[in-house]
Amino acid sequence: MTEYKKTIGIEVHCELKTNTKMFSTSLNGYQTIANKNICAIDLGYPGTLPIVNKYAVELALKAAILLNCKINRTMHFDRKNYFYPDLPKGYQITQARTPIGVNGYVEIEIDGKTKKIGIHDIHIEEDTAKSIHKEDKSYLDFNRAGVPLIEIVTEPDMKSSSEAMAYLEKLKEILYYADISDCKMEEGSMRCDVNVSISKTEKLGVRTETKNIGSISSVGLAINEEAKRQEEVLENGGSIKEETRRYSELENKTILMRVKETGNDYRYFPEADIPYLTLTEEYIEKVKNDIPIMPNERRKIYKKHEISEINIEKIIQDKTISDYLLNFDDINLKIASNLLLGDIKAYLNKENKKLSDTKLTIEKFKTVVNKLDKGEIPNKVFKDILANLLETEKTFDEIVKDNNIETISDTKALLEIVNNILNNNEPSIIEYKNGHDRILKFLMGQIMKETKGSANPSLVNKILLEEISKR
Amino acid sequence: MDKLSKEEVLHVADLARIYVSDEEIENYKIELKQLLSDVEKIKDVKGYDDEILISPTDSFLTPREDVEKDTVEFNDIKKNIPNTFGNFVEVPVMINE
Repeated sequence: MTEYKKTIGIEVHCELKTNTKMFSTSLNGYQTIANKNICAIDLGYPGTLPIVNKYAVELALKAAILLNCKINRTMHFDRKNYFYPDLPKGYQITQARTPIGVNGYVEIEIDGKTKKIGIHDIHIEEDTAKSIHKEDKSYLDFNRAGVPLIEIVTEPDMKSSSEAMAYLEKLKEILYYADISDCKMEEGSMRCDVNVSISKTEKLGVRTETKNIGSISSVGLAINEEAKRQEEVLENGGSIKEETRRYSELENKTILMRVKETGNDYRYFPEADIPYLTLTEEYIEKVKNDIPIMPNERRKIYKKHEISEINIEKIIQDKTISDYLLNFDDINLKIASNLLLGDIKAYLNKENKKLSDTKLTIEKFKTVVNKLDKGEIPNKVFKDILANLLETEKTFDEIVKDNNIETISDTKALLEIVNNILNNNEPSIIEYKNGHDRILKFLMGQIMKETKGSANPSLVNKILLEEISKR
Repeated sequence: MDKLSKEEVLHVADLARIYVSDEEIENYKIELKQLLSDVEKIKDVKGYDDEILISPTDSFLTPREDVEKDTVEFNDIKKNIPNTFGNFVEVPVMINE
C-alpha cells in the first residue's frame, strides 16, 4: 500500500529585540505588570498616527539578509482587518504586498546531508494585546500590543517532523546569535504555526494550520499527530478541511479552533498613514557589515582548533561562552573551551552567576590557558585557585603567591619521585615499551598523586620519558 | 449628454432615501453629471502593474529612533474602559473553542 507523504510549511512569529514598539514610543517589554507599557497608538485611539521604529527595520533587514532573502528596496505597510478585542483599532499593520525579504532559504543538516528550506517571505508587523481567558471573561494586557514582530514564512519544503525541528533549531540559532530576538518560545517571543498536509501522490493534500505551538519538540509531536489524524480521516472516507487547529501537549493531539480565514476575509489594503520606506544600498551594506560572526563560521574556527564535535555544539548552545572565546585568537582554544565548559561553568551554575558577573579578565584567562598549555601548572592548581580567579581582581601570579601554591620544578626531587614510581611499576614499563601508550598517563597519574598534584606536568613528562628509555 | 434625466436624478434620490424638490432636480441634473464624469476617470488608471498609490503625498518615510517616550498611565485611560480587573481590561470572552 502506498504511504502518505507529509508536506510541511512553517510560519514563525518572532519578537524583535528593540527598546520600544514597532509604531509607538512605549517600551517593548511585557514581562511586567499589565498595561504599564502602553500609549494612545497601542490602544488604537482615533487620530493617532503610527511612526516606524528605525531599529526594528534594521533587525528585520538583518534577518532577511541572514535568511538569504532578496531585499525589497521600497516597501510599504498594509492593513490586515479583523475584529477582535486584542486589536482595538480593528486592523493589524503588516506587510502583505512588499515584505522586507522574499525568496530566501535556510540550510539544515539532516541525515548527514545539507538541505535548503525555502523562505517564501519575511515581513514586519505588530503584535496584538495578550488575552487571558477565564470563564466568560477575557482579560487584556496591551503591553504586548504593538511589539515589533517579524513573520518568517517557509515554502512547503519540509517532509518530516525531524526536518521541521531542524529548521526551527537553525532559525532560532541564527536569530539569537544575530541579536535579532530572544527566541524564548516558552515566553512567547518566538511562536510557531505549522501547516501540514498529507498525500499519496505528487499533488499536495489539503492543509491544516496548527497554531502557537509552545516548543520545538512539541512542533515535532504536533506534526506527527496531525498527519496521523488526517490519515485516519482520509482512510475512513472523509475529507480534510482547511482549518485552524491548536496542539494540546496534555492530550498529545491537535484540536479544532476555527474554519480558516483567507486573505480575502482580511481585506488587506495599503496603510495610508505610513509613507513608502526605502532602503539604500549603503544602508543595506552597513547592516550586513554589522552582522556578528555567525554559528556556522564559529563551528569552523572551533574545528580548526581541534575541539570535539560534542564540545563545539556545547559552546554554540551557550552564546556567552562562544562570545567570550571570540576575545582570543592566539591561545589554545581547546584548553580554553574545556575550562569554560567544565570547571568554570560548574562554578557559575553552583553560584548562580554569569560569566560577566565574574572578575575573570581576558588577560587573566589568557595567562591560565597559556600556563596549562605549556604544562607549567597542573590542572589541580587551576582548580585550587578557580574561585580566586573568578572572584578577585588579583592577577594569576598574585593569587598563586597569596595561596602559597608551589609547583615542584626541582629536577632532582622529581627525578627521585619518578624513579620510585617506575621501580614500583616494572610491568607497566614493559607494557609501555610494547606499544601501550596509555600506560604513560597512568604513570603520570601516579606521580601527580605522589606530589599531591603540584608537580610541573611538562617537566614530569620529560623526565618520565627519559627514565623509561634508560631502562 | 451634458446632464442627467429627471428620472435618473429621482432614482439616485430614491437610493439615497432623500426627497428632492423640482427646483433641486434641475440643479442635480447638472451636478450629478459632473460628479459621474469625474468618477469615470478611474477607468483611465492603468491597473495592477502600476506602482500602487499608498499615500496622497510623494514623501518617503522618516523612521524614528528607538527611544521611549509618551507612555500613558493605565489609571488615566480607565475612564474610557467600561470594565477593568486589576490592571487588566475586561471584555466578554470571545474564543470559539
